Amino acid sequence: MENIYYPHKGVVKEIKEETPKIKTYRLKLDKKLSFRAGQFMQLTVPGVGEAPFTPSSSPGEVEEMEITIMRTGRVTSVLHKEVKVGDFLGLRGPFGKGYPIEKFIGKEILIVGGGVGLAPLRSLIYALFDRIEEIKQIYICYGAKSPEDQCFKDEYKDWERKKKVSLNLTIDESHPKWKGTVGLVTCLLEKDYLKKIGIDIKNSYVVSCGPDVMLKFVTFKLLEVGFKPEQIYLSMNRRMSCGFGKCARCNIGPYYLCKDGPDMCYADIKDYPNVFC
Amino acid sequence: MEVLLDKNRIKNFIEVLLGYGRVFASWEKEIFSNRGSKTRRFVREIKDNFSDYYIPKVRTFDNFKSFVLPGRFKVAEYPSEKWIDIGEKGEKEVLLGIKACDLNSFYMIDKVFLEDSLFVDPFYKKRRESLILISSDCGDSLDSCFCNVLGFSPYPEKGFDINIVELKEFYLLEIGSKIGEEISKNLSLNQAGKKELRERDEKRRKVKDKLEKQNREFSKAFFYLESIAEQAFDSDSGWELGSACVSCGACTNVCPVCYCFTLFDRKGEKENNYKRFMVWDSCQFKGFSQMAGGLNPRFSHIDQFKNRYYHKFFRFYKKFGVYKCTGCGRCIDNCLGGIDMREVFLGALEGVKR
Ligand SMILES: Cc1cc2nc3c(=O)[nH]c(=O)nc-3n(C[C@H](O)[C@H](O)[C@H](O)COP(=O)(O)OP(=O)(O)OC[C@H]3O[C@@H](n4cnc5c(N)ncnc54)[C@H](O)[C@@H]3O)c2cc1C
Ligand code: SF4
Ligand code: SF4
Ligand code: FES
Repeated sequence: MENIYYPHKGVVKEIKEETPKIKTYRLKLDKKLSFRAGQFMQLTVPGVGEAPFTPSSSPGEVEEMEITIMRTGRVTSVLHKEVKVGDFLGLRGPFGKGYPIEKFIGKEILIVGGGVGLAPLRSLIYALFDRIEEIKQIYICYGAKSPEDQCFKDEYKDWERKKKVSLNLTIDESHPKWKGTVGLVTCLLEKDYLKKIGIDIKNSYVVSCGPDVMLKFVTFKLLEVGFKPEQIYLSMNRRMSCGFGKCARCNIGPYYLCKDGPDMCYADIKDYPNVFC
Repeated sequence: MEVLLDKNRIKNFIEVLLGYGRVFASWEKEIFSNRGSKTRRFVREIKDNFSDYYIPKVRTFDNFKSFVLPGRFKVAEYPSEKWIDIGEKGEKEVLLGIKACDLNSFYMIDKVFLEDSLFVDPFYKKRRESLILISSDCGDSLDSCFCNVLGFSPYPEKGFDINIVELKEFYLLEIGSKIGEEISKNLSLNQAGKKELRERDEKRRKVKDKLEKQNREFSKAFFYLESIAEQAFDSDSGWELGSACVSCGACTNVCPVCYCFTLFDRKGEKENNYKRFMVWDSCQFKGFSQMAGGLNPRFSHIDQFKNRYYHKFFRFYKKFGVYKCTGCGRCIDNCLGGIDMREVFLGALEGVKR
């Protein structure tokens, strides 16, 4: 019988520094693995512990995987400080449902990311690029603290060049090196701005990932400008351990984020207590 | 099928059980000290000197959950091929004398660890399948017992290999499975007659009546459990008793159905060898849901307190169609804050009405 607690090996092939606090790890997997965009992995730093991360690479890749990680606490600090190319990490998963991509066919997709929250969305963006003929339009709205804090900077040009893609960036406060929009990511969701980029609110879905406070204000802004709760998908944050609905800590109302999420339709969760922390 | 065992033959019965594997029994002992005597009931392995063994009338202080979910055990060593697949069969363990509530608890936890075919817990499965369950009727109830208000009976109705009912002159054995049948065949016992069955039913009625009497005032709160579960969690009124909670986690530790755990990793003794353990956790601990940066969806003390109720009577119920509580009352006996779950529900019911 397979041991669901056993972490399989992923050898670090490459480490890329995205920002001073965020690094992308490219892992070579010892066991082929396919996932749906939005599904997450439990990543083990050997002897230190596990934490959940959503791959940032394309779901089409089965032998290698990229995971983009921000340094915040115990596990991620050891990871950033001590893990080098050639070391191995542990992987369990994939877990969770992933984005309902089938629903997105024929629709416009508004992708709203903040900080390291662009990592999971990047894998969704690649998945959508693969089916771009069936998607009407993709609007990417991304906010970071400063230009130095933007993830995946060197890919923006490629994304923008694609047809049916509109990329919109903002940083929190003005910065000598920045000529674009300044303000929290919600400023890209103001009515006027959405009108300018031409989104058809009625015929769209929104997908958002970022820190808890950001998700909260993004949701309220979206509702204010006319999106329905049914159109909004949020990558919710909860502490996790098992990844498969047993340890019972990752819940919103009756849902387990590790099984029923982590991306939840706002309509399904909005009436339960403590949706946002 | 029901058969009769002479009371003095309980030793033979245990001898047969010992042939199947290790035997762990509900055990009662009078403990004398200069402050007087006290009856203690606990779980103990039977190896020899069981000639004066008898089955206690009520449940033990300890629960039996460690037989399927030990408090701390190793679930992996990595990287090591040996741990990728876990063997199927474990050695048999016999649980003797367990009561209906503890029997029910296994069937509740099974839902979590066995039902999801994609993620069957191999350690749980192995331990669970190795159990031989010899249950027994309650001959009395404790003040904290409230199985009846949750719709359960103080005697096992299904899910046992053999159930034992103590009658005046015999032990009546109800056979519930193939393995139970095999065990009883070893003893060549006589069929029970109408008289003994009548005596059993009479005994059962008595204990049930007593339970109903002692829990009468609470039954209305449990009658509305579903609607309380749906509504009360949104409001803070009615939960005042929770302010006595000191977040010690005793309630979840002694609960036979609380299964929440966490995984933690350690370096092994050898180079390039790491170990992963599963340990009991508790939703009553602050760290249970705490995320990076100190964010916590159950930050307030009362939200944390409520979660235990919410999980048992709402979330679990929604997922599996049963409540996650047997009514054994252990959490009541062991709460440092002196909190009685039954009174909490009465309060919550009032909160909903308010
Ligand atoms: C489904 C999901 C996907 C995620 N994807 C990414 C990603 O792609 N990139 C990224 O940088 N971060 C991601 N996170 C957040 C990331 O899991 C936390 O930053 C990480 O757990 C912090 O671990 P730590 O040990 O360094 O922090 P500590 O605060 O020391 O946390 C200790 C433990 O608590 C748990 N924990 C702490 N914070 C969180 C949290 N926010 N969410 C869940 N569990 C937590 C972990 O098990 C962690 O090991 C994701 C979270 C979830 C739930
Ligand atoms: S919640 Fe209390 S009464 Fe219910 S099963 Fe657990 S310990 Fe027993
Ligand atoms: S046993 Fe009582 S005091 Fe301790 S955590 Fe449970 S409810 Fe709180
Ligand atoms: S992470 Fe264990 S139940 Fe979701």
